[in-house]
Amino acid sequence: MSSRFPAQGVPAVSDPVRRIGRRRLLRHAMAGAGALLAAGPLSGCASPASASGANSLSVWDLFQGGDGTLMDDMIEAVSKGAGGAEGFEIDRTILDWGPSYYTKLAMSAAGGRASDVAAMHLSRLAGYAPGGLVDAFDLDLLAEYGVGQKDFTPAVWSRTQHEGTVYAIPLDVHPFIVFYDKKAAEKAGLLDSSGALAPMGSPEALLEAGKALAEATGQAGILFGHVTDPAQNWRLFAALYAQTGAEFSLPDGGPAEIDIDAAVRAVTFMTQLFDGRTNPNNLDYYGSVAAFTSGRGGMAMLGEWELPALKEFDIDLGAAPFPQVFDKPAVYTDSHSLVLPHQDSPDPARRREAHRYVAAILKQSLTWASAGHIPAYQPVLAKPEYAALDPQSSYADAAKVAVLDPPNWFTGAGSNFQNRMCQPLQSALLGNTTPEKAVRQMVREADTLLRQPNPVTS
Amino acid sequence: MTTTAPPGAEEQTDAPAADAGGRRTAARRIPTGNGIVFVLPFLLVFGLFMVWPIVQGLWMSFTDSSLALRDTNFVGLDNYTEAFGDPDVWSSLGNTVFFTVISSVPLVLVALAMALLVHSGLAGQWAWRLSFFAPYLLPVTVVTMIWTWLYQPELGMANQLLDTLGMEPVGWLSDESVAMWSVAALTVWWTVGFNFLLYLAALQSLPTTFDEAAALDGAGAWRRLWSITLPQLRRTTGLVAMLQILASLKVFDQIYILTKGGPNGSTRPVLEYVYDVGFTGYRLGYASAVSYLFFALVVLISLVQFRLFRRED
Amino acid sequence: MSATATPLRARRRPPREAAGSPLLLGHGRLPRALAGTALVVLAVVWLVPFLWAVVTSVQSEEDINTTGLWPFKGAFTLDAYQQILERGNVSVWAFNSFLIAGLVTLITVVVSTLAAYGFSRGTFRGRRALLAVTVAAIMVPPQLLVVPLFEQMLLFNLVDTYAAVILPQVVAPMMVFILKRFFDAVPKELEEAARIDGASEFRVFASIVLPLSRPIVAAVSIFVFIGAWNNFMWPFIVTNDPDLMTLPVGLATVKDAYGIEYAQSMASALLAALPLIVVFLFFQRRIVNSVATTGLGGS
Repeated sequence: MSSRFPAQGVPAVSDPVRRIGRRRLLRHAMAGAGALLAAGPLSGCASPASASGANSLSVWDLFQGGDGTLMDDMIEAVSKGAGGAEGFEIDRTILDWGPSYYTKLAMSAAGGRASDVAAMHLSRLAGYAPGGLVDAFDLDLLAEYGVGQKDFTPAVWSRTQHEGTVYAIPLDVHPFIVFYDKKAAEKAGLLDSSGALAPMGSPEALLEAGKALAEATGQAGILFGHVTDPAQNWRLFAALYAQTGAEFSLPDGGPAEIDIDAAVRAVTFMTQLFDGRTNPNNLDYYGSVAAFTSGRGGMAMLGEWELPALKEFDIDLGAAPFPQVFDKPAVYTDSHSLVLPHQDSPDPARRREAHRYVAAILKQSLTWASAGHIPAYQPVLAKPEYAALDPQSSYADAAKVAVLDPPNWFTGAGSNFQNRMCQPLQSALLGNTTPEKAVRQMVREADTLLRQPNPVTS
Repeated sequence: MTTTAPPGAEEQTDAPAADAGGRRTAARRIPTGNGIVFVLPFLLVFGLFMVWPIVQGLWMSFTDSSLALRDTNFVGLDNYTEAFGDPDVWSSLGNTVFFTVISSVPLVLVALAMALLVHSGLAGQWAWRLSFFAPYLLPVTVVTMIWTWLYQPELGMANQLLDTLGMEPVGWLSDESVAMWSVAALTVWWTVGFNFLLYLAALQSLPTTFDEAAALDGAGAWRRLWSITLPQLRRTTGLVAMLQILASLKVFDQIYILTKGGPNGSTRPVLEYVYDVGFTGYRLGYASAVSYLFFALVVLISLVQFRLFRRED
Repeated sequence: MSATATPLRARRRPPREAAGSPLLLGHGRLPRALAGTALVVLAVVWLVPFLWAVVTSVQSEEDINTTGLWPFKGAFTLDAYQQILERGNVSVWAFNSFLIAGLVTLITVVVSTLAAYGFSRGTFRGRRALLAVTVAAIMVPPQLLVVPLFEQMLLFNLVDTYAAVILPQVVAPMMVFILKRFFDAVPKELEEAARIDGASEFRVFASIVLPLSRPIVAAVSIFVFIGAWNNFMWPFIVTNDPDLMTLPVGLATVKDAYGIEYAQSMASALLAALPLIVVFLFFQRRIVNSVATTGLGGS
């Protein structure tokens, strides 16, 4: 979930992660030319990465912007041997967030020469683990480096497995939350005695809050950017739908099990909330962020990963878990995790290093938390340094009521599924269709996807 | 392309070979006698990387072959049935045809105009050639990087220019009704140089006698262009158009990098859909079926062109 | 087809400046001025994107983001270029591009030239049928075969290797066809003399036919090299390891931790554009003539 803002920071050229390039070029040139001369092109030269020492790990991720630079910092820390541990030589590759990344990840795993470690949204695991595109973690090995099941919340840990085997180690939980302008919220009377956003408890309360915020800012109340966005509408819908207590499940072959009444209730509320008067209904993602950062709205519904970008601006920034308006608390989230992409013949020493690296990165997750993410590794969450992070600590509880995408091979972050769910929701919000029709369209889309033969299980 | 072969080529080549065969009995017989050895390396790579994938792809289109699973089942015509009922197949085919039309027409006409202008003999030949042909030498990513920046909503040149002229900014890549035109403009800029060179080469090899005679008869420049030069270029135009249509039909690179098929699938060509369902969606078998449907379209268009081209002769 | 009919030095070379026919425009001033204006306008339109890229690449990200580019007022800086070169990725990809395009060209030209000669002079059975299949294959866009080709590379265990990038690119029926047409037009008397002297077919090919074919082989090489250098779809599909990517694939796939940076983006685009532009400047006449040499541009 990279921030969608162009980074503001000045690139540091001396960064060790970046300097790897030149070493890599030489190593690569030698390995490439040598292999070609020795074996001829027909024999297929193995990736030069595998020709280098077991100590050098290739890692893939999709973090750019604020997340990208923080990941650089974390890799630099573990490379130098944080906490007196042995260091690493890390060869980091960043690919474009979304389908590009997940396609390349699957293709490299199918080819058998994938990177040693890769980042993956937990919501995508169902598309990778069953087909063997990711390899299982050795929990004993991880335990040697001080990481185990006990370090994660059950809600998150339960999504790391396929048929009882662990394929992913969660790095964070990153909920879809609300950011608010503390001054506007105070003026609107929405803060409790401790100065935090008071609970809502009902749809009416959130509608009222929008009106009060609109009055306080003199412009819009609550901001939500969704036009042409492939995920935002789904995030909001999934949170509200889960709050009704209904289940959304996608059994292979279909039909999708969706509570139509609950879904209509959620979509109807979305259209009431973003009525185009109190709260605009026609913003795109950038538009909503820009409106919020320039004070043209009191509250914005966004992913917490926007925190570093929002902090650049001169607003008294508050944050809270997505407010409960229906029967039970639920917050739409996803979770960045680390996986071992499938390799045909993994070198045991490198695999061991990969486990050691995963453990070492988890222990750096306080750095990661400054991007807004809630560390999944509980020992870091328990640290006083984390409690001191503001406003991060104010939405840490969101992890306890986390709702992820319904698991199936085609769902998850950056998936076609989310994009398809967003289209009818967008139409409903723009007033081009009714909530009932939008929900029926969503069900049809889900059924179409479910009718496709499942390509990850035989 | 067969039409461009000199009609007498076959007979010509056979005659000396038979001739040689007669004398070879006297000379030392050599193992390479009938020339097949020369063709073998090509046949090897042709068989491996052309025939094999064609056959393999056809087979895969009848299976549920998956990127994520190694076991594959025969599913009969399921993939084709699904593809015929898949609105995304039709919309991506439509996008491909639309792109082919709006890119091929200017790619032929602009190239012709450039070649005629450069051929008119103005000074600085190398500079014109460089300006028009240089973009063709750029890797596709370089082209898309430059144009993404030109099309950038706030800071890009296109909208800055509109702003200077007091006009509203345009969502070059984000507006569904504009995006494909933006892709076509980029494509014209990028690849027109090749067609331009084809035309220029043709113009330079035209016999000038008619032109000179007409000029002596006092025919004006326009008159000679319309009634002498352009008719002389008909064959070249047929060839350029045919190569261009084939090239435009297989568009993928610039669109994939520029828009990933968006916004909302409005620029997604069929080859990107093949990539999306086959690799992103793992369904190699289904993607093969979509490829073969597209293949049928390409063959159809080729045959029609072939017919037209032949009639032109 | 005049170009192929006269493969030897006999080809008429247009004189340098009067490359076109001045008669076309007559001697009137007005048509000349109009043509000149149109040409200048077109050339400017074609060069502006380059200029915009160059100007962007020598600005700082801050200047671009705060003031924009228009009108040009930011301070000149080469920071973007320095950062790109420091990172080294672009040099790795350039190395791969040269290696891959070079090997593709070498193998393609050798294989295609031999095949074309075999098709032109051979007497083996099935020659016509094979030739017909080869010519028909010109109509098969290789992009249609990416799915089965990838499957094939999975089977050969070649995904993420140079071999996988190179091998499928060496099948060039079009080049075989162009070369065959050229060989067909080469007079056979010279070869006959050598054959009577007892030279092997290969010797005849290497010492008599090949030297005559230099211009067409050069032309085909140039085409194949440009094609391989700029090829995107196949290398993009078959390489995932950034160390094996070519320039276009690497630039399109691998991102930077800092997100979008316009100056750096333009700097790396221009660096990646440089090699072939320089080659073009040196070999301009040859590249332009090569289009004619292949016979594609003939009328």
